[in-house]
Amino acid sequence: MVSRFYNVLIFMALALAPLAGLAEANLEINTPAIASLKQSMQSRHAQLVEHYNSGAVGLTRDGMVAVRDANAVPLAQRQAVNALVSAENQDRAALYREIARANNHPEWESKIRATFGQRWVNLARSGWWYQADGSVWKQK
Amino acid sequence: MNNRLLILLIAAIGSYLLALSASAAYPQLKFSVANIESPVFQTKSIEVQIGSSQSGARELIIAIEEIAVQDYVLKELRVVCRAFQWNRHEIECTNGQLIARDLFASPLPMQFVATPSHLTVDLRPSGGEHWQFSIEWDAALWHAALTVKAGKMTHLARWLPEMPDNENFPKLTGGKLHGKIKVNGDLKGVTSAGIDLSIDALAFSDAAGMHAGEDIALSVKSNIEHDARHQHWKWRGDMHWRQGAVFWQPLFFSGTDYALKMQGVFDGKTLALHDGQLALAEIGTVKFSGVADWPNAKMREFQLDAGNMALPALFDQVLKPFLADTVFAELEISGLGDFAVVMQEGVLQEVNLTLEDVNIIDRRDRFAFHRIQAHIPWQAANTTIADISLLDGHLLRIPLGSVRVPLEIKDSHLYVPQLALPVLDGVLKLEDFSAAHTDAGWRWGFGGKLTPVSMEALTEALQIQPMHGILSAYIPQVHYDGESVSVDGVLQVNVFDGSVVIHQLKLIEPMGLAPHLTADIAMRNLDLGLLTSAFSFGKVEGRVDIDVNQLELANWKPIHFDAHMFSSPGSYTRRISQAAIRNISALGGEGAVVAIQRSFLRFFEEFRYAEIGWRCALRFDVCYMGGIEPEPDSRYTLIKGGGIPAINVMGYNRDVGWQELISRLQRVTQENEPVIQ
Repeated sequence: MVSRFYNVLIFMALALAPLAGLAEANLEINTPAIASLKQSMQSRHAQLVEHYNSGAVGLTRDGMVAVRDANAVPLAQRQAVNALVSAENQDRAALYREIARANNHPEWESKIRATFGQRWVNLARSGWWYQADGSVWKQK
Repeated sequence: MNNRLLILLIAAIGSYLLALSASAAYPQLKFSVANIESPVFQTKSIEVQIGSSQSGARELIIAIEEIAVQDYVLKELRVVCRAFQWNRHEIECTNGQLIARDLFASPLPMQFVATPSHLTVDLRPSGGEHWQFSIEWDAALWHAALTVKAGKMTHLARWLPEMPDNENFPKLTGGKLHGKIKVNGDLKGVTSAGIDLSIDALAFSDAAGMHAGEDIALSVKSNIEHDARHQHWKWRGDMHWRQGAVFWQPLFFSGTDYALKMQGVFDGKTLALHDGQLALAEIGTVKFSGVADWPNAKMREFQLDAGNMALPALFDQVLKPFLADTVFAELEISGLGDFAVVMQEGVLQEVNLTLEDVNIIDRRDRFAFHRIQAHIPWQAANTTIADISLLDGHLLRIPLGSVRVPLEIKDSHLYVPQLALPVLDGVLKLEDFSAAHTDAGWRWGFGGKLTPVSMEALTEALQIQPMHGILSAYIPQVHYDGESVSVDGVLQVNVFDGSVVIHQLKLIEPMGLAPHLTADIAMRNLDLGLLTSAFSFGKVEGRVDIDVNQLELANWKPIHFDAHMFSSPGSYTRRISQAAIRNISALGGEGAVVAIQRSFLRFFEEFRYAEIGWRCALRFDVCYMGGIEPEPDSRYTLIKGGGIPAINVMGYNRDVGWQELISRLQRVTQENEPVIQ
């Protein structure tokens, strides 16, 4: 079961690699819900990249994103960035839940979430911010 | 020490210094005052010294160890004056420096003039910035004033009140102050005060930038006056927000011409607010009043009344940020609303919401409700009846007719005994709808039925393949547990002249991003004529039963089921057109069609059959197919002929991609219009 868990995880991480700006992989998970979530995240990624680059938004340890430094965003745009982060986190939470469900192991959700947290950081571009141990923000 | 003594002391210092004017040119003098206490401020250790500097020039030094105003303390204030003169009536310092490390990083140029009845201090920290403090007194009264021109707001940061979680509370980062603060008093203390200030380019922010404001311009006028007869204070405050932007997560305000007016009385124990008004440009005016205990700021009474609020601006500016990521995030609202709230002892007692001619339209066209009239009262102690009506609307493209909802409200429980909602040419009757808000969110449930709706009208409204017949349904108890909608019992639907019974229906996270639906469905005695004509499939006469077990939809698309379609038992006409056979064959291959065309059978338009059967076990995206019998061979029988002329149709593909199968079906039905029968 453990090896299958990691197979699924690697499979998914590769499938979602384009979201982190890497070369596009051909692998996909073919459940309609996951495909829909992936599409939603991909379409939002272009908007999030500039905020990852500026340090306004960072990657958290639990596989989510967070507004790290709103001062990097003009005041009038902070509400939109906030909404962007909120929508991304809703997709991510649903994605982890769906991967667990699709593999008939809902109990994997927390494991998937934690391991994805590390995976997103590995896939992050240089200069992006992530939460290290103790929830301290570090720049990659 | 009371105020009288304070004034006497100030006068004494002044007089003493003035008396020195008659003495030698470079006198050596040191004068000390231990402590001064008054209702307004306290000081510790004042030292006044006149002597010579190291260069030999005379200098006046005033050192104050500590000044405390209420809870704010300034330590180590020092005035060094190197150009001063005195005569019998006044002392004037024309070149001094104020050293106040708590307020200013470096010494400030200052001037002051003191007489036995007057003191004026001028500070010019930088450029055009000018702070002038003056106080006048006589034996009975005193008047103090602070006049500011282009004063930097950051000097005031330390005087702002401490807030809960003060570390993360926004700090002043900019702003210029103009205007005057006046305080008048007598020997007993302050008798009146007034503020007339204008603030420009105000900016503040917390460390994370999640609560911040920029380029704010506002005017504040306020006064407070002691009413000796009633032993209380009358106060009034007006604020005019001229411009600026504030982001206070998740709200963002950017606008001009907001006005806040408040007035009331304060007796030392109770703060009463009368006639508060908040005028929001484009939205409307909110009136409020209340009474709070002092100093714990516990609200005893509070009333708020917002009439004729323009809902479009109210929704966009206030409500929408809280509805992000919900189905209500992309609403377009028009109309007016009234809102009233009553609180007592900090507890909500009464809420009244009235909507007049309100239209609520989803920009994604998922729903729309027009001409809503509503009066929704809520009382903490009583059951109330809300009256809600709408003229028309649509839900997922299905038109809704005029409806009136008699909603019973008790605490956080809602109940509708009966509701008849016109849907196309039928009526959706809901019974015993109840909803309650708990710590874990909303829970609701209802039962009901749908009286016959024409399938022609329904399919036209849904903009899908036209179908014939009627749709009616019995809806058993349906309930929502905070995560899933479940049906207790079976949902019965009548369609295509047959019946559909849905068991174990469950909808998980219906408003989530990836809703799941699970169910077992048994369809009985469906009229194949109605069914196939609906989909332009080619004419088939007969009746079928269809079982769909362990159905699971993810995001409204099937990912799992075990389906079995078979001829219904009983006696009825069983005919199938050549066009239908061609289409069935096209789903699995060309074999059967070729056989027909090459044989004499191509001269017949219709064939008789004994049985029709089809199976599909869907696992993610592959349909594992079979026919009438669960044959193990690579081929399987889809149609078993019977009578003359008769034909058997075989299937050869066991595994078909689900999307490929759907694509083939779509091609078949699209290519077959008009259908040759």
